[in-house]
Amino acid sequence: MEKIRPILKTYYEALEEGRILGMQCKECGDVTWPPLPTCQMCGSTDTDWILLGDEAVIDEIRFEDPSIGGDYTFRKANDYFADKTEPYTICLGKFPKGTARFHAALYGITADNVEEWRAKLPFTAKVRFIQMNNDFKVVGFEVPGYQSGKSE
Amino acid sequence: MTHKLSRPVSIIGTSTLGQHYYDEPEMQGLSIYELWSHACHQAMADAGVKPKDIDKIVYSHMANFVTCGNILAPVGSLEEWIGCREKPISHIEQACASGYISFMEACNSVASGRYDCVLVAGIETPKHFIPRDQPAYRVKPLKEYDGWWHPGRALFDTTYYRFDGVSDNLLTDENAYFLKQNYGISDQMIDDAYNAMAVNLSRGAARNERAVERVEYAQIAKEKGFDDVMEYMRSDYNPHITQYIRKSGSVLHNVAAGAIIVCSEDFAKSVGAKKPINVVDYASSSNTQRYPMCFHQMNVSVRDQLTSNGTDIGDLDLMVTTVMTSGEQMDSTEVFGYLPAGKGCEYEIEGRTAFDGDRPVNPHGGDIRFGHSFAVAGINMMSEAILQMRGEAGGCQVKNKVNRCLVRGMGGGHTTAGIVLESKF
Repeated sequence: MEKIRPILKTYYEALEEGRILGMQCKECGDVTWPPLPTCQMCGSTDTDWILLGDEAVIDEIRFEDPSIGGDYTFRKANDYFADKTEPYTICLGKFPKGTARFHAALYGITADNVEEWRAKLPFTAKVRFIQMNNDFKVVGFEVPGYQSGKSE
Repeated sequence: MTHKLSRPVSIIGTSTLGQHYYDEPEMQGLSIYELWSHACHQAMADAGVKPKDIDKIVYSHMANFVTCGNILAPVGSLEEWIGCREKPISHIEQACASGYISFMEACNSVASGRYDCVLVAGIETPKHFIPRDQPAYRVKPLKEYDGWWHPGRALFDTTYYRFDGVSDNLLTDENAYFLKQNYGISDQMIDDAYNAMAVNLSRGAARNERAVERVEYAQIAKEKGFDDVMEYMRSDYNPHITQYIRKSGSVLHNVAAGAIIVCSEDFAKSVGAKKPINVVDYASSSNTQRYPMCFHQMNVSVRDQLTSNGTDIGDLDLMVTTVMTSGEQMDSTEVFGYLPAGKGCEYEIEGRTAFDGDRPVNPHGGDIRFGHSFAVAGINMMSEAILQMRGEAGGCQVKNKVNRCLVRGMGGGHTTAGIVLESKF
């Protein structure tokens, strides 16, 4: 039986230090991100932390019109971002050490350049730690060359 | 007319995580999710099964919207944490009876033939909550919750039936009035019996590593300068909180997770279960606080359902029963015939209901010393019964072999359940 250990606290505190942790199964090698104590592939609890690096391969862009702000039921994710003004969109991708695709926020995509970036898929994007309202961070990404709300 | 299960149902695994307070050092940094997954993994390991073997999950959680970050149904997350994503899962929310009702739902799922192996599990943090939009490990004391309710107000349906004066006082004292009116038992004897009950339960809890309060009242009394523990129990150190109930006779709230594996008899054989426990029968009853003696009446109703179903509750070796307050244990043990009617006070005062007595009740310590965690309480009590039946309860193990056990549970949302178990080993 595995020892009970903090998963979420370890993960979020590592994000504060600029590290992204996943969980790797010692039996089948599958990597779960965000981390869980149970392998999502084989169900094993023999798992251990793994550093996922600071970039990921983005293979799909799901552009959202930033003027659409959600409604009473379905709010946009940046309702909970400390900075609610900087445009972002949704991407799908995978960490080089990861084994499953994720979805995340992607900065640097606008209505003007979305097709240009779609033509470059897949591309490698750097991690962008997104500051949330309540003093914690989550993982997002930004397109290469992106700085302070402008895409080059 | 009898209503037997369509096929035999066995219990083959249980968690043993234990009760905790969130402010204990070893709990720091742990969210409900770690506790949930640990309890589920314990039960799976105990049963000798893997996540892939689980056909369905029944999830018990009472106040999840309040305590779980304002999430309505975190079923998918809970599945992922235990390696069971995309499997069927049902959420039962029936106040403190949720655990028992979840167990019954799991048994129904197996008995129907639809599922072979079902995990029934729960998580609850009665005194803490996860603030909205924050990582789950950042729990806060529930008193800081903006919309906090007192359980005695939230559990009773005062939106429908607005006489709210009954929830905290009258209901908990009704057993005392019942004993006085029906058996002529004096106030002094009732007080002594309730105090003795707390002493007896504290003896079991002190020997149960899974209990949340592990100091005997005898030791507490000694530290306060009392050689006679009963003198301490009658003193101002143990004040009345109602007309008849003292502080020592009231439920303790704590954080807990729990899990049990139920399966078909054939499945139990296929995994080589060494000590499968047979689920004989179960029943439940619900009402409101509209009528006097409503808690007592639910006990009567459950007992009558079981006996009219042909289930023998006359040969029980052990009774595990919810004890939100002293009167509840007293009433239920007599209604189900585990103790002779009108004699419960004597049994308590003579110590016969203690874990090492000849008629043990709640050897694990009961809700007033073992602890109580809302919707997980029922699962934890089932687990304690399972451990007793296997002879694996540790220091609070009862003296005689437990072949047949009644787990009787109650939730303040007004449901009482009775589950009869038997061992064949």
